[in-house]
Amino acid sequence: MNEVNLWALGGVGLVAGLLGSMLGVGGGILIVPILTLALHLPIKVAIASSLVAIVANSCTAAGMYTKARVTNIRLGLLLETTTTPGAIIGGFIAAVIAPSILSALFGLVLIYAAYIMITRQHLMYDDTQPDSHIVQNNSTDNLSTSLASSYYDRNLDRVITYKVTRIPVGLGTSFFAGILSSLLGVGGGIVNVPVMHLVMGVPMKVAIATSAFIITITATAGALIYYYYGHIYPFIIAPLTIGVVIGSRIGVELTQRAGGIVLRRIFGALLIIVAAMMFFKIADII
Amino acid sequence: MKITGHDNLKESRLNKWSSLTFRLGIAVSLALIVIGFITLFIISGGKDIQPLVRLDQIPAAIVISIGILILLLTPIIQVMAAIVLFSIARDRLFIGISAAVLCFAAISLALALI
Repeated sequence: MNEVNLWALGGVGLVAGLLGSMLGVGGGILIVPILTLALHLPIKVAIASSLVAIVANSCTAAGMYTKARVTNIRLGLLLETTTTPGAIIGGFIAAVIAPSILSALFGLVLIYAAYIMITRQHLMYDDTQPDSHIVQNNSTDNLSTSLASSYYDRNLDRVITYKVTRIPVGLGTSFFAGILSSLLGVGGGIVNVPVMHLVMGVPMKVAIATSAFIITITATAGALIYYYYGHIYPFIIAPLTIGVVIGSRIGVELTQRAGGIVLRRIFGALLIIVAAMMFFKIADII
Repeated sequence: MKITGHDNLKESRLNKWSSLTFRLGIAVSLALIVIGFITLFIISGGKDIQPLVRLDQIPAAIVISIGILILLLTPIIQVMAAIVLFSIARDRLFIGISAAVLCFAAISLALALI
């Protein structure tokens, strides 16, 4: 493996944390391509390092969201029953498939993330609009009743009460999100957030908070599998993690000051370029 | 939907303990990672480094590794705390759900430590 520059690793983490929190995507979508394309690290080491940095970032976010009582912890725990085995399976799949296939899959996920970012911003992050998606659900089963909750919306200055619907669909999709997370070193929020909001009827703010909660354990399970295969390097992870946590803190502050639609579109276009570079790298063009 | 005072109290306790676990875990693990990183920075003089640990870098690697381990244990401890709180509230459904999550996390932890 090549020598690495500590400042460069810290810088990657800082940029990933900053943009990730400003744009409502996990840092992994940025960390993995930068570590492989710019710092020439093997993709499996990049994914493992990304997963540990994501654990740090999501624990920070989950700590803040649970303190603010926005997270639906019961829903998070329920969905973790399928994301966690998904993450374990994803880690094992990643260990046996060729790095070129991993890079190609990552390129496809980047294109999907870019599509959502350019055309459907409200699916990923919307902190300014009131939740218009309060689903009427007459389900009275025990689980649905347990998952029903409420939170105080600061923008609207009122308590929003909601119920959770289509639980089996949510559980199935979460399993897929878990596999994706471990396989590619991303949090899985790009799958979980839209599903919780659009399919399960969870308000957007709760979906984002609950997704951060879920990612803590999903990324941990994935990282531990990579540890088992010897892809965890403390000297890569340390500067990366410090950078991600500092970057995401700054990103949260900046997001509150600036609107992000134009930024998200520019970033979406950038992701398409990065995806193209991943494909070029597979074809040995760059 | 009716939310009783008892439910609110349980949710409040659950949120409080979850938040505390996450914040404490991240504070301790990040402190160790930062200490290890500064040690590494002093040893290497800020120059490019090999990801594989050299003999003189072992102290830095140990401190960072402990920090990473605490970081990865934080979400698992949070699930354990949830089990305790659901047990106090005698919420059998979520004791079972949390225990299932803990089992999966324990499997991955056991594999990592083998």
